This record gives sequence, structure tokens and C-alpha cells, in this order.
Amino acid sequence: MADEDISTAEALRKTRTYGKIRCQNPSCMGRIEPKAGQTHVKCPECGMEFRVHWLRPDFPRIRGPVWEVNRKLAEEALKKKEKER
Amino acid sequence: MALKRKIAYIDLTTGEIQVKPIPVEIRKQFLGGRGLDAYLLYNHTKKGVDPLSPDNVLLISAGLLAATCASATTRTHVMAKSALTGLLGSTNMGGFFAPELAWAGFHHLVIRGKAEKPSYLFIHDGEIEIRDAGNLWGRSTTETQWAIREELRDPEVKCLVIGPAGEKLVRFANVMTGIKDSGGRTGMGCIMGSKNLKAVAARGTMDIGIAHPEEALEFNKRFIDQIASSKVNQTQGTLGTPFIWGATNSWGGVRARNFQYNQCEFADDIEPERLDEIATETMGPHHMAGCFGCQVHCRARYKLPSGPYAGKYDEGPEYTTLGAFGAMPDCRNAETVLTCNYLVNQYGMDNLETGAMISWAMELYELGILTREQTDGIDLRFGNDEALVEMVSRICGRKGWLGDTLADGGIPASEKIGRNSFDYLVQVKGMNNLHSDERATPALALNVATASRGSDHLRSRPAIDLYHLPEEVLRKIYSSPVPYDGPLSSDHTVYEGKPWQVFWQENCYMAVDCLGICKYHTVFLGPTHPNFEDWAKVIRYNTGLEFTPKDIWDVAVRCNTIERMFNLREGLTRSDLKKGDMLNHRYFDEPCRRGAPGVVGRYIDKEKFIRMVDELYEHKGLDKEGVPKPETLKKQGLESEPSHRL
Repeated sequence: MADEDISTAEALRKTRTYGKIRCQNPSCMGRIEPKAGQTHVKCPECGMEFRVHWLRPDFPRIRGPVWEVNRKLAEEALKKKEKER
Repeated sequence: MALKRKIAYIDLTTGEIQVKPIPVEIRKQFLGGRGLDAYLLYNHTKKGVDPLSPDNVLLISAGLLAATCASATTRTHVMAKSALTGLLGSTNMGGFFAPELAWAGFHHLVIRGKAEKPSYLFIHDGEIEIRDAGNLWGRSTTETQWAIREELRDPEVKCLVIGPAGEKLVRFANVMTGIKDSGGRTGMGCIMGSKNLKAVAARGTMDIGIAHPEEALEFNKRFIDQIASSKVNQTQGTLGTPFIWGATNSWGGVRARNFQYNQCEFADDIEPERLDEIATETMGPHHMAGCFGCQVHCRARYKLPSGPYAGKYDEGPEYTTLGAFGAMPDCRNAETVLTCNYLVNQYGMDNLETGAMISWAMELYELGILTREQTDGIDLRFGNDEALVEMVSRICGRKGWLGDTLADGGIPASEKIGRNSFDYLVQVKGMNNLHSDERATPALALNVATASRGSDHLRSRPAIDLYHLPEEVLRKIYSSPVPYDGPLSSDHTVYEGKPWQVFWQENCYMAVDCLGICKYHTVFLGPTHPNFEDWAKVIRYNTGLEFTPKDIWDVAVRCNTIERMFNLREGLTRSDLKKGDMLNHRYFDEPCRRGAPGVVGRYIDKEKFIRMVDELYEHKGLDKEGVPKPETLKKQGLESEPSHRL
């Protein structure tokens, strides 16, 4: 190897996680670990629901929201925030 | 050696061509690529130069590391004063042109004047010819490239070209290479058109000597492993850049219906996974391709499955295409997005600006600010797919009153349309904003407001701010190569510490733009991607030049300052909504109405935003008005610019 010292980028590699996705609600951002092949998940913390796509059998990603569910959550949150303003 | 690559000065009016070496001292200050182009632009144009005049210079360059043993040194940079913004014009594209230019013996071209008739340049093994392009004028970007290869009887020739949009001086015309590799911001294709320059063709067989070849190859293996193993690049290698749009749309971070909403709901037909299915169905399972020397392979290849151009081959679409022809005009059909993508690629027109202009016009039409008479009877409502496709062609051809008006860019169009049309134009420095909605992400809002070429995500966006990274990870990244012990937050909805992140990323992006490396090989999208310390090694092994990570940082800071000096000379003032570091009022006045519960209701707090700009200016060594302080210029060695050393 040309240079044995490990760069910051390489040192941070151990922080990578696999098989998990994050809830996309910025006030939540909890980790969700779908079961193999599962195509739908619900965040246990905030209730947002997502459709899941598997890039590989060990690599899930969020395909998109479950539109009807998340729209309802958004509308409720907006109503609450508008009341508070 | 890479350091032996030369600079050529080409006068299209007189036909005179001069070739010079690039002194190492200049390399040490500006490296190459975008940074050295910025130095050349500041030195070779006069204040107030008309962008479309022969006196504007067009700069085309490869990065310092083009065609070396370093990964993804593929980027070609093009710079001039922009006819879209009247400020810095700068654009950057992948593909295969830059390495070919380097193999042909050159790193930088400085093109001035105007050819008497349509022409193209042919650069081959140290020679430069100006050739007739009469038979190429009017042809699409793809046709032009094939015609040049046929004329030169060499299928390996690589070309930068303009399409019909550049010829017709559409202010946001692209410079293109390959099928979809686009220099697509600030209208550099328009500048080529104004010079009667249809193309630049390159073919080279000159060896690039590597200073320390064994070490260079060995280190590059580590580099590749780091890049190819990251989750974000594995995703890109499967779904291409649309995955970014899909992820962002999920939580409510994209523009929809111009800027009315921050999410495009029920967009299943244009989700990246759906586009991947179409590419797989039409091209087979191995439909992803890459640029020169890149392992990410984010370029999807497909055939249009349906519509007026069914069966035509195309590449992309990109992240920006989904916004431009999907969410923004609220046309949620894959066929429409792919058709528009095909058209702008063939015309050589910026997808982002085109989609944004049409979506803006749609909002004006629905508000009654644009009349049906002005649209030539087109029912320009959101969601009208046919109208969208028709307007793409009309803009390229400057057809009809509205097509011609929109082709001149946002600010001139708003002046022509009148009333309060400008209020709805979501732009910075005369260029439309990206199709992301930054109202819930202050760091990203600061990035688009202060980017040197106008609203843009590829100049300083701390995209990893969205990853909710632990603070200790952020601190490792953002405290090197210069120390930083100020605030850093994992929460992308807060304001504290964000100016430093924007400043750091601005220098990170400039560094790789000087080296010619793709941003997907940087911290742009992945916290574990290579960084300043890795580039110091890459430079040493490939060129023999000794740079510390801090040296590279200093070069990047200097190059960003000279871009700032150019913009200030051409009229940038801090709070000017048309030429400054300011956002459209909708960022401050209209809260997000869609997306995740933590996003709805959010907007940018103007006072906090102004404080972020103040802080960013402090990091950059600028005064309160955004002008470099005398001590900043001295420290960066820029106090005597323009110095006319090259």
C-alpha cells in the first residue's frame, strides 16, 4: 500500500449502517429496520408510513410515502402549527 | 506530464492562435479547471463587457488531473460572462471530452472574437484548426457530434457542441457532449452561438506521464473502494440521480407548481424506481453507464417507451429533469418527463431553466397575468402535458411571443410581461432556483442565495446536512483542513453553524472543480467520500506537485474570492433581488404546506437568514456588503488582480 495512514473519509467508514432506513420526518429521523422483502413500513415514533424498495436483498430504501396516510398527518400538523402562530 | 498541458488563445475574428505553457507558480495559486478559468475570466474581460459581444471570452478547460490515474477526472468546465445573468457564467459537465482535450495537449482554451461564419475547432495532438461548420448549423446536438466524427473519419473524436437553442441565442442554452452530458447552467451554449462556434472537437494520443505511477494506482484502488462501497453511490449506480429527487420529494423538499407547494404528491409514475423499470424494459438489466474513469455509473440509458418520439434512444433523466418536467409543471407522467428530456438534450437547452420558466409562466397564466392571447391560444395550466411539451419546442425555436420572451431568461421576461410577474419568479442573480424547496432547510437556502453563478446546488450545498449525521461525524468532516470549533448541528431545520458548513462545502466543491473530479466522489453526497487530505495525495502521486490539504483549501478560497471579485465588478450588490445574495420573498412569507409533519409550516426566518449571510461573509473575509476586505485580498495574494500573468 502506498500510504498506510487512514484518511478521515476512511476512518468514518465504520459509521455506515446497512439494512436500516431513516424516518424522513425531520422532527423524528428514527431508524427503521424493515424485515427482508417488506414493502411497507410505519415509523413507530411518529406514525409516518413509507413504501420500501429493495436495491438488493440486504439494501432497503424508501421508495416514497404512503400518500394518503402522510397527507393526513401533514394536514393535522399544519393545522396545529397555524393555530400556534 | 499533466503539468506540460498548455493553454491556447484563439481569436475567432482574426483566426490567430497562440499556445503557451502554464507556469507552475500559476498552478500553485489556481490549480486548473474552474479556478484557473476564474482567474483568466477576470483578467481577460473588461468591466461591463457585453456577454454576446466578441470581447467576451469563452473559457474551456480540463481539470489538473484530467486523464491521470485518479478516478472520475472527467469534468469539463466552461466559463464566460453569462448572457442569462450578466454575472459569472460557469458550467461543468461529465462525459469524455476533458480527458481527450488533455491527451490532445491542452488544459485551457481562451476563445475570443466571433467567427465570420459557423465554425468549429478541431484540436489534435498539439494542433488547433478552425474549420467550417456550415453543414452543421441547425443540427441537433447528437447529429452534430456524429457528423463531425464522420467528417474527420475518426469515431473516437470527442466534441463539445451546441444545438439549435445555442444558435438561436436562447439565454440558457447548453454546451453538450455525448447524449446528455450538459454544461447546463448560465447559458454557455448561448455564448458559443454568439461566436458562431458550433463545436469544439478533440482527439489526442499524447501520453499523460504520471509522476509516481505505482503509488497513484495503488492509492486509487483505495479511493475506488471508498467510493464504490458507499450506500449513496450504490443507489446512484442503480437508480441514477433521480434517486435524490425521489428521496427529497418523500419528505417535502422539492418545488411543485412553480413554488406553490414543496411536494409533488402521487408522483408514482415518475419515481426513480419506475424510470429504472422503463430503462430495464427498453435496454435490459445492464442499462447504467459511467463517465471516463468513474465507478459510480449513474447514467441511465433507455429508449422512449411511448409518445411522439417512441423508440428514440436517450440518457438520463437526471434529478433536475424530474423537477423541471414533473413536479414544477405538475405533469406526473413518465412519458412527458422522458419526452421533454429527449427534446432538451437534442436542442441543447438547460432542463432546469426551461422547466422553471414554463412553470413560472403556468402560474402567471393561472393568475391571469399572462393571457391566452400571449400564449397563442395554449391553455398553459399546470398539469397540461401537451402544453409543456409544446412550450419546450417553442422556447428553443423562439416561436411565438411567449416562446421568444421566455427564451431571454427570467428577469428580461418579467420586464416584458410586466405587472407583478417578477414576484413569482423564484430566482437568484437572474437564474432560476433548483427544483428543491429550501424553506425547511436554512443551510440549503443560504447555499442557493450565495452561490457564485446564481441559485445553484453544485457550488456550496451542504447536502449531507439532510442525513442527520451525529455531531461528532460532522465535526470530523468540518474541522479539517482548517480548525473549527463553532456550533454544528445534526438538525437540518436549524440555523446555527450552517454558514460554516456552506463555506466549507464551497471550498470543497471549488477544489474538485479545479482538479476536474466529479462531485459524486466528494463529501457532496457522502460523508465517507474522499476529502482534502485524499486529494493532496492524488495530486502528489499523479503530478508530482506537493500540496498539503490546507494548501488545496487555500487555493479553493482564493478561487472563490476571484469569482466574487468578478461578480462585484459586474454589478453584484448584497441585497439586490436581481443581482445579489437574496432570496425570493416566498421563502420568507409562504410556509411549506406539504410533506412530513416536521416540515409543514416551515419557512425561512428573514432576520436569521440575514445573520447567516453576515456570518458566511465573515468566514469568507468579506465586509458587510460582501466585498473582500483589503487584508483578505492581501492574504490570498489577490491584491494586484488583474495581474495579466497568463
